[in-house]
Amino acid sequence: MSQENFLDSDLSFSPANENPGIRVKVIGIGGAGLSLVDGLTLDNFHGVEQLAVDVDSRALQDCIASDKLLIGRRHTRGMGTGGELSMGRKAAEEEKDVIRKKLEGVDMVFLLSGLGGGMGGGATPVIARLAREAGALVFAFSPLPFSWEKSRHAQSQESLGEVRKFANAVIPLPNDSLLQIGGADATALECFAEAGRNVSRGISAICSLVFRRGMIDVDFADLRKAFNRRAGRTLFGYGEGSGQDAIRQALRELMLCPMLHLPEVSKAADALLILITGGANLGMSALQQASLEIRDEFKAGEHVVFGAHVDENLGDRVKIVVLGATDLEAGMKADVAPSAEQVIFASTKARQAHESKLRRQGKEVVQPSPRVMGKRGKKESLEQNTFDFMDERNQRGIFDDSSRNLYEGEDLDVPAYLRRGVKVAI
Amino acid sequence: MSKIIGSVEIGTSHSKALVGEVGENGSLRIIGMASRPNEGMRKGEINDFPKVASSVHAAIADAEKMSGTTIDSVYLAQSGSHLKGRMLHGSAYVSSSDNRVAVTDLERASEEAHRREADEGRNYVHFVRTPILLDGQVREDPVGMQGKKVDLSYWAIDGDEQAMRSSIHVISNYNIEVADLIVSSIASATMVAGPDLRRAGVLVIDLGAGVTDFVLYRQGFVAHSGVIPVGGDHVTGDLSMGLRILERYAEKLKLEHGKAAPDPTDEKQEVWMVGDRTIGDRSVSRKAITDVIHVRIVELFEIIHKELGELLSPEDLKGGILLTGGGSQLPGIEQVASKVLGLPVSKAGFPAGISPELAQPENATVLGLLHYGLQDHGLPGQSKTAHQTGFFGKIAEMVGIKP
Repeated sequence: MSQENFLDSDLSFSPANENPGIRVKVIGIGGAGLSLVDGLTLDNFHGVEQLAVDVDSRALQDCIASDKLLIGRRHTRGMGTGGELSMGRKAAEEEKDVIRKKLEGVDMVFLLSGLGGGMGGGATPVIARLAREAGALVFAFSPLPFSWEKSRHAQSQESLGEVRKFANAVIPLPNDSLLQIGGADATALECFAEAGRNVSRGISAICSLVFRRGMIDVDFADLRKAFNRRAGRTLFGYGEGSGQDAIRQALRELMLCPMLHLPEVSKAADALLILITGGANLGMSALQQASLEIRDEFKAGEHVVFGAHVDENLGDRVKIVVLGATDLEAGMKADVAPSAEQVIFASTKARQAHESKLRRQGKEVVQPSPRVMGKRGKKESLEQNTFDFMDERNQRGIFDDSSRNLYEGEDLDVPAYLRRGVKVAI
Repeated sequence: MSKIIGSVEIGTSHSKALVGEVGENGSLRIIGMASRPNEGMRKGEINDFPKVASSVHAAIADAEKMSGTTIDSVYLAQSGSHLKGRMLHGSAYVSSSDNRVAVTDLERASEEAHRREADEGRNYVHFVRTPILLDGQVREDPVGMQGKKVDLSYWAIDGDEQAMRSSIHVISNYNIEVADLIVSSIASATMVAGPDLRRAGVLVIDLGAGVTDFVLYRQGFVAHSGVIPVGGDHVTGDLSMGLRILERYAEKLKLEHGKAAPDPTDEKQEVWMVGDRTIGDRSVSRKAITDVIHVRIVELFEIIHKELGELLSPEDLKGGILLTGGGSQLPGIEQVASKVLGLPVSKAGFPAGISPELAQPENATVLGLLHYGLQDHGLPGQSKTAHQTGFFGKIAEMVGIKP
């Protein structure tokens, strides 16, 4: 569909254009999960239901989610888990059937839960497994505690591994790095708010792809195909630009997105989702070029879901969201969640497959095509006239290929400023 | 007749080789020196054997070429976080009827200290002797003195057999022998801290690219040593991630604009990443660079502080703290170290007689290897060959030949 056609056919952004029949459930688990659900700012997507799950009846009461599920009454009598992983796990396991019922007929599940707590850390892997067994595509957004919260941090790493066994993609949101995003004097509260914004961005992007029709359209089947494997490491980033050179600016911001520059984040994606949203004057050729560059940047394979949507409210602004996952199973399909043994076995293989892919690709520096740069763009940026992509050798962290460097529970290879919560104002 | 001897340090950023000539009077002259970039190491350990081997072999070949001679054996530096040290004790009652200490008494005590075997899969690199006590009194050479009991302690450093074997194999693949493995920290300290300083008590910290080695001397003897798997590469990595720039630019910014501690002049100053203001160039705030480096450096010294604990006492360390290694060139690092460790800190110098191009902090280890290797580390009164078979035995055992 060319741009002209698109404009003629008046596909504006309205619920009427939403793709019917697909059911999505956003599930908040535990304290952090509930507040994430409360803080979600999604455009009105029909077919997105919310569910809050907790063992704490008071917290659940305060939550604004439309559907609530209190579990583990027998063990906690409606109180919290006190940070006990096993408590959260047991509570969820025991109410398996109720949870299963809630997951019936749901096509896509978003799990929101802080992995540092007993409920989030313990119950999330269980619910992820149940959701996969029910046939849903599972995305988990998981805030992780600060690394100075030593035991909680260690516990969250364990839970993260567990969730990864079952979810199709897990997006970790470490507090350490979220603190880097806000202003120079950002507080922990703002850092939690940033986690919330990231979750909203991610979910909105995925839901837009599924529910709304755009100039470059994808449907749920495409998404399912791309992410139908259990994911290893994931990447998640966003960028925004405005004005004449909006798309280029958005690309640049995307590449500098702090969420992409974390030690744990993958530098390549086997499955990649790209969503570009812009105002009415989103140019087709610029879009294609951007998509090409993004694919190249993340060394995306065949599983790319690319969507471009027009939102008239955006004016001359352009937003890009990317979400990618490395393939943990190296080609194996896993509609049913596999056992832990298989996971361990698969992960070593996946790492090899992944590394060889990086090597094979060779050095390719993208030459931005001249048509992408607006006339003004050229004149304006005398000091910096093109956007240079980092070459891949340098994208991989120095210590990516060495063993973890633990000292009193902290991985010394992870930048000190991240672990110590020191803000870097670039 | 003079003797030719070499030393090799397989460093994380560079492989270094030296060729030295030992004169009949025991004087050492450096006649060949070469350094080659090494990309096969991570945190002081071999990661990519072929890459390491080709870098090391090229360095040895260059050094040999420069010296116009060939070497048969080298002293090899060993580092890496797998090295662990502990104090081993041994004692013996004086056996002669006149209560005079004989060499055999010392040897018996030494045997007892050596009795403890390294754990499975590990091997000793060093037994560094600490003062000899005769009835509780420190005696430099008690042989011939009267007393009842001698006590000996060794600071024993053991390491992962596999890791040590790999580094020995790098050398033996070039068809030369490893005369001895020497722990990097001790080699560096031998070079930069003379006997007087060691007697006064000194802590030497060698800030390398992959790891930071340190050794603490008390009353002239090693009291503690250690390896922290954090080095200059971590600073570069942190900068790359924190400023979201390529590693090679991070390295460049570190070398050109890096500082260990922030100062008010950094505010609002910007520096260019590449410098030519063209494709991909970007300006970076100077404050951000310093902030990232500062946290890392402070943390590094904090870990050393934790490792040493009460050993860091001003009474025992009158010689203060010396910094060497490439990382010691970071401006302001002495002040940061001093603040964290609570003792005076200075950059280590080299003794007179070392040519200026060699007397660089990053060469401390490779130079120290030769000096340490040539010193006598036996017990007082013991013949030199007696303990040297011990050294050769150690290497032979590790490469699988029984002596």
